[in-house]
Amino acid sequence: MDPEIITSVLQDRKIAYFITDRDLTVVARQGTSDPFCEGQTLCLGASLLALVPELIGSEETLTAILAGELPRFELDWVNRLVDGGQIRYLAMVTLPRRDEDGEICGLLHLIQDVTAFGAIDQQLSQQRNELHLLQAQLTRQNQVLAAANAELQRLDDLKSQFIMTTAHELRTPLTTIRGYLEMLLDGDFGPVPEAQRTSLSLVGNSAARLQSIAEALIDATRIDTGHVEILLQPEDLLEIVAKVAAEFKPQIQQKQQVLAIEAPTQLPPALCDRRRMAQILGNLLGNATRYTLEGGRITVQVRALADQDAVELVVEDTGIGIAPEDQLRLFERFFRARNAKKMTSKGIGLGLYITRELVALQGGEIWVESAPGEGSAFYVRIPVAVS
Amino acid sequence: MMKRLQKKICLLGDFAVGKTSLVQRFVYNRFSDKYLSTIGVKVSRKTVVIPHADAMVEMTMMLWDLAGSQDFEGVRANYLRGTAGALLVSDLTRPETLDSLARYLKDLRTVNAEAAVVFVANKRDLVAQQQVSPAQVAQVAAEHGALYYLTSANTGTDVEEAFRSLGRLLLEH
Repeated sequence: MDPEIITSVLQDRKIAYFITDRDLTVVARQGTSDPFCEGQTLCLGASLLALVPELIGSEETLTAILAGELPRFELDWVNRLVDGGQIRYLAMVTLPRRDEDGEICGLLHLIQDVTAFGAIDQQLSQQRNELHLLQAQLTRQNQVLAAANAELQRLDDLKSQFIMTTAHELRTPLTTIRGYLEMLLDGDFGPVPEAQRTSLSLVGNSAARLQSIAEALIDATRIDTGHVEILLQPEDLLEIVAKVAAEFKPQIQQKQQVLAIEAPTQLPPALCDRRRMAQILGNLLGNATRYTLEGGRITVQVRALADQDAVELVVEDTGIGIAPEDQLRLFERFFRARNAKKMTSKGIGLGLYITRELVALQGGEIWVESAPGEGSAFYVRIPVAVS
Repeated sequence: MMKRLQKKICLLGDFAVGKTSLVQRFVYNRFSDKYLSTIGVKVSRKTVVIPHADAMVEMTMMLWDLAGSQDFEGVRANYLRGTAGALLVSDLTRPETLDSLARYLKDLRTVNAEAAVVFVANKRDLVAQQQVSPAQVAQVAAEHGALYYLTSANTGTDVEEAFRSLGRLLLEH
């Protein structure tokens, strides 16, 4: 081949070469720019291993090529640090050099500057490795989080167990206390003087409040742990309203409040749990009477919403109302509105939380409309039972 | 007259375990915590004097810092030719890098069954992130009949000792 063509190809492909004799001494070289002879005025006559320390240790391999036992030896991506801290990437190939008779008389070493490809490859490798490291880090963090979650769940379960057990243990003796108090006040153990009657009634009220708190704790814990049993059946909401309203009559009369019920004569059956629906209405009526002043008015409305296949229950009062910022948190556990706390010390803030959860478990919705000093209206919407 | 030797030593291990950092610390006594992935091979040179028998031996260590990425598995055999000894490097904050060492050792033994090896568990200074215990490193090294060192290229702890230990093994071979 025309030497000029060879030179052009070598220059274009950034290939330099050494030729060494059988003693690995450089006898010829070509390449205007190569990292092995830079700064050296004379390369010819130098030891190959002095110029290319990357071949130290490969003497056996070079000997094998000289002996014709190995066709070639390659070293890819050899890094060479150049001035300025840049890395040059080189690809090296060692081949046998043959004389005119075809005998191996030395070695031909080709060195190609592949820095352009190397730089790209390095970036790709860097990004890939960093991604792997990040993935490994994320996996470890996920494992830590999973362990923390498991521990939190365990502690939460322990807490629920503790509350349930404690509430049950409190409820049992309270039932006894209330039972005997009732018998005392009924005169089962003899006449009770008026002064004692008043005191016993106070004791009874306190016991009832404690029992109510215990019941609320048990209910809330059952809701949290998903152990509430709901029996959905077609139920007459008018019946439920009438029954609960009758239970609250003494309380309402005591505060000289007015309870009005506005309901149609007929109503499609609601798909709900009768006992829990009564509990919901009881909670709402209890709050209405508690937070309405003496002489105030409480209205219970029941209506069918034909376009939505639902029945709606509204408990409205002329009570103290609820501030807008408190309405946002009204249905949270243990939350009590500020004006409610000022009005009475009773309650631990579980009633509306339980009410909301029970409504949701029956596929319904609950919300409130209220303004301070203007009373409140609680809306409960329950699906109609489809026949 | 002091005996002079040249030995080819390879550093093998997964990516980002600190092979390049160990070489930088040993050869240039410097450290950078910036991670730069190595592709191919970087060859550095350091001469140490090691006592042997009743004499001192000047050993020039040709240190081959090989890329740890899987992309270079195919070319690794050529890099390993002529290796007299190797440092097998793992990362104390990444357990999987300790598990990988058996594979690198197998590659090395395929090329040179008699090569001397020392196990190195690096990043000892990262105590809070440690996921591998010294006992685990000891067990893996013992399974392969090798010495081990817990190093920190950052602080320099036991870096020199690890390389010199390998140098002593090379003199005994």
